[in-house]
Amino acid sequence: MIEFRNVSHGPLRDISFTLQKQERAILFGPSGTGKSTLLFLFNRLKDPEEGEIFYNGKPLTDVPIIELRQKFGLLLQSPNLFPGTVLDNLKYGPSLTNSWRPGREKELLEYVQLSPEMKDRDVDHLSGGQQQRVSLARTLANEPEVLLLDEPTSALDDKTGEDIETVLKELIEQQGLTMVMVTHQMAQARRLGTNGLFMNEGTIEEHGKIPEMLEQPQSKALKEYLQG
Amino acid sequence: MSPEISNQSLWFLIIFVVIPLSVSYFYQLGLSRNVIVASLRGTVQLFAIGYILTYLFDLNAYIGIPLMVTVMLVVASFHARKKGKELPYVLPVIFGGLVLVEVSVLAMWLLFGMVEFIPSEVIPMSGMVIGNSMVAMGLALERMKSEFSENRGRLLAALSLGAEPKQASTLIVQRTLNAALIPNVDRIKTIGLVQLPGMMTGLILGGVEPIMAIKYQLVISLSIFSSVSLSAMFVTLIMYRHFFTENKQLLESEEAMLAYASNQEK
Repeated sequence: MIEFRNVSHGPLRDISFTLQKQERAILFGPSGTGKSTLLFLFNRLKDPEEGEIFYNGKPLTDVPIIELRQKFGLLLQSPNLFPGTVLDNLKYGPSLTNSWRPGREKELLEYVQLSPEMKDRDVDHLSGGQQQRVSLARTLANEPEVLLLDEPTSALDDKTGEDIETVLKELIEQQGLTMVMVTHQMAQARRLGTNGLFMNEGTIEEHGKIPEMLEQPQSKALKEYLQG
Repeated sequence: MSPEISNQSLWFLIIFVVIPLSVSYFYQLGLSRNVIVASLRGTVQLFAIGYILTYLFDLNAYIGIPLMVTVMLVVASFHARKKGKELPYVLPVIFGGLVLVEVSVLAMWLLFGMVEFIPSEVIPMSGMVIGNSMVAMGLALERMKSEFSENRGRLLAALSLGAEPKQASTLIVQRTLNAALIPNVDRIKTIGLVQLPGMMTGLILGGVEPIMAIKYQLVISLSIFSSVSLSAMFVTLIMYRHFFTENKQLLESEEAMLAYASNQEK
């Protein structure tokens, strides 16, 4: 489905891997190794300095960029909601392509386990966890095929983080989404991911099935990372 | 009232400088050097311009006006540029904006007979328009830079939801224009109530009838109001584009913006 071929950008060097449809990949590794940069290459918030990325066999650059970004939904560490109501935020993406269907907010809020009455609430009056749920619902409003998650629970307290994680897990399983998630929490990686990409010093040091990688790490760097 | 301020009286203006200087010293604001430099520089500049204006006012309008207005436009452009010198193409954008504003305002004045095309009218009034536009452009640039850096996450979110850079920047453009225009709106709201504006005060002190002074003040105040809005809008709507690449990607820093701009030129 998605193939990185010898991609380099900033800290990333010669990255090659393939991601299959409905795969749930976890990007993990020490800070500063380019995990977020790698995530931004999927939806062309950044372009490779070298190498190429293919989506369903076509170079990523051949897909119209707006269409591509709507197919690859991104959820960042902070909710980054726009000023206004919950509904304003939910409508944002679809309205850009005139594809918002009135009443859809009910279904979106249901996905993230928020009550439909919240649609008229000012986003400034929501808790951190509620804001992150609205942010996730806003991403889902574009009906993405792939979810790119950049440490989506790291800015939240443990309990709220776990709630968001549950919502994510159910959504991904129900809707058969492909997922790429950056996380530092190995328990979360185990619960949400199928495959892992361990990154170290800008390269993919090790990859494979998540449970095996965590239980029987091969490389010295991954062993040290898991111990540390 | 004395018909003329004597040179001896002027020396007592030092008292007005000593007050801010003492405040700065007492509260250790570290502004003493700035206060002294600004006061001296302002005095020298004003006397110099006094002599230059006397000379310019005697010149043919078609030489004196373009000459002085060009000097004002260049100096104002370089000054406003300081607020955004890290941004690509900022100097030509500011200069272009100021020229546009000055030419439009001057055309209005002349077309509707508000001002005569003589140096003693056009030069001081143009100075006020260009000066205020310069401040507004500087404010807009400064605000835009801070809005872009504070709202980086929101911009990435908007772009990743499929927004064009223009759509993603709507909030930033609104906030920037708001910040640049609010002092201007407030000034117009309280004009004549809180302060008698500079030009009107000058004319009244010079012996002109208050109603005539007010007419001139109206012309200049509304000209400034409009030129400040136009210049802030011009610089904001042109400069925000340089925060993005042609592939609708947000540039990470001002260095990245400069590098991208110079690559595009090659």
